[in-house]
Amino acid sequence: MQQAAPLGSIDSLPCAVVVVDESTVVKKIFQSTSADLGVELKLFSSASAAMALLNRFKPDLVVMDIMLPDKDGLTFLQELRKTVLHCDTPMVMITTKDYAQDRLIAQHLGVLEFVVKPISLRTAHDLILKFAKSHGGEPKKISHG
Amino acid sequence: MGASQKKYPTGEAHIRFWGVRGSYAAPYSSQLGVGGNTSCVEIQADSHLLVCDAGTGLIPLGKALDFKGLPNKFMILFSHYHWDHICGLPFFEPAFRSDCELLFFGPGGSKKAVEKTISQMMKAPYFPVEPAVWMANVRFVEMPNNHFQFGPIGISYQNVHHPGVTFAYRIHVDGKVIVYAPDNEFTFLSRSIEQRYSEFDAREHGLLEQMKSEARNRELGLLRGADILIHDAQYTPEDYESKRGWGHSCYVDTVNAAIDAEVKTLYLFHHDPTYTDEVIESIHNHALQIVHERDSPLRCEIAREGETVRLS
Repeated sequence: MQQAAPLGSIDSLPCAVVVVDESTVVKKIFQSTSADLGVELKLFSSASAAMALLNRFKPDLVVMDIMLPDKDGLTFLQELRKTVLHCDTPMVMITTKDYAQDRLIAQHLGVLEFVVKPISLRTAHDLILKFAKSHGGEPKKISHG
Repeated sequence: MGASQKKYPTGEAHIRFWGVRGSYAAPYSSQLGVGGNTSCVEIQADSHLLVCDAGTGLIPLGKALDFKGLPNKFMILFSHYHWDHICGLPFFEPAFRSDCELLFFGPGGSKKAVEKTISQMMKAPYFPVEPAVWMANVRFVEMPNNHFQFGPIGISYQNVHHPGVTFAYRIHVDGKVIVYAPDNEFTFLSRSIEQRYSEFDAREHGLLEQMKSEARNRELGLLRGADILIHDAQYTPEDYESKRGWGHSCYVDTVNAAIDAEVKTLYLFHHDPTYTDEVIESIHNHALQIVHERDSPLRCEIAREGETVRLS
């Protein structure tokens, strides 16, 4: 898990993606993908760790699991949506919980896409291209991983 | 014998099953040997009575109390708010007594959110009496740092695999660890991986194996070290095939997880309401066979309405 970087070092980058997922493998997939795209990636394993950054920083995309160790992702997302900073931050859920009820809650909270695990390298790549690029700065380099 | 027909046990720390069915109540003669009420489990220590879920089993629990002495402090934990876990609450008699203290906790992120959820259920046109009429000293609590101490009972929670936000609880009482996970679907990710394996390339296959291993460790982490596990075992393998993704476990997966996590005693819980006593006995027999074949010391029981388990 990375510690929150100083604001300046993130603000100066063209495109920042935050991933909140306890899974080391999911983080590995996004690390591999972001290296190809030149995206600045911030990885967190829990809601509380992510909040340390998100309470003062608006990334171009947040990718979040529902089954977080300290808080369910839907409740965390609801809390984020109530803040001025994240009322419209692009959010994508990546989860094993392929349930209609979870999809519906996510939809009501303005989630752009609900992706069911397992995810491929290509899926992670496409999510960043589709959502981070469209809302944030241009990635430095575009290639398929 | 139904739970309401038994004398209320007091004194020593204990667990008592007041409702063991999942989905909806099953008040049919063919099901009453195991019990027809929906999820409600009492854990009592000293003068504190912890109630796990407020299914229809909560109603006979409330009626069994004579209010002549202890307990008079209650805490109700909601695993989630599906009907079978809340529908006994409007009929819980201690809520209407001024000499009782009643605490609530459940998913929602804040005590205000839990209170709102409960209040929405208990209002017209769904029910004529609102929680505002309750006479008990009612408090909705939060669990900062994922811990709450209710008298001698320590409580923490974890997200589990079931539609919507759903908690399982680890409960420490009288030197024992009890895990209450009434609704939790085991092995969901590993089955998804098996189904979609061909979508991934050779490099990703290694990652998928790691992903399965991570998911299994997480599932077992909830159960590990439990003296008593009360866990969802709703379906037979045949029924699970058509009900995968409904948020409940096949009992075979539950037994295997309990063995892998070195649980001491497992209570198969949240029985399907259509299963007769005979079907549940056959489930129990097969579960015991699995334990035997795996040469495990696990004690595997069926959660039966009215049964009391002494903790000391």
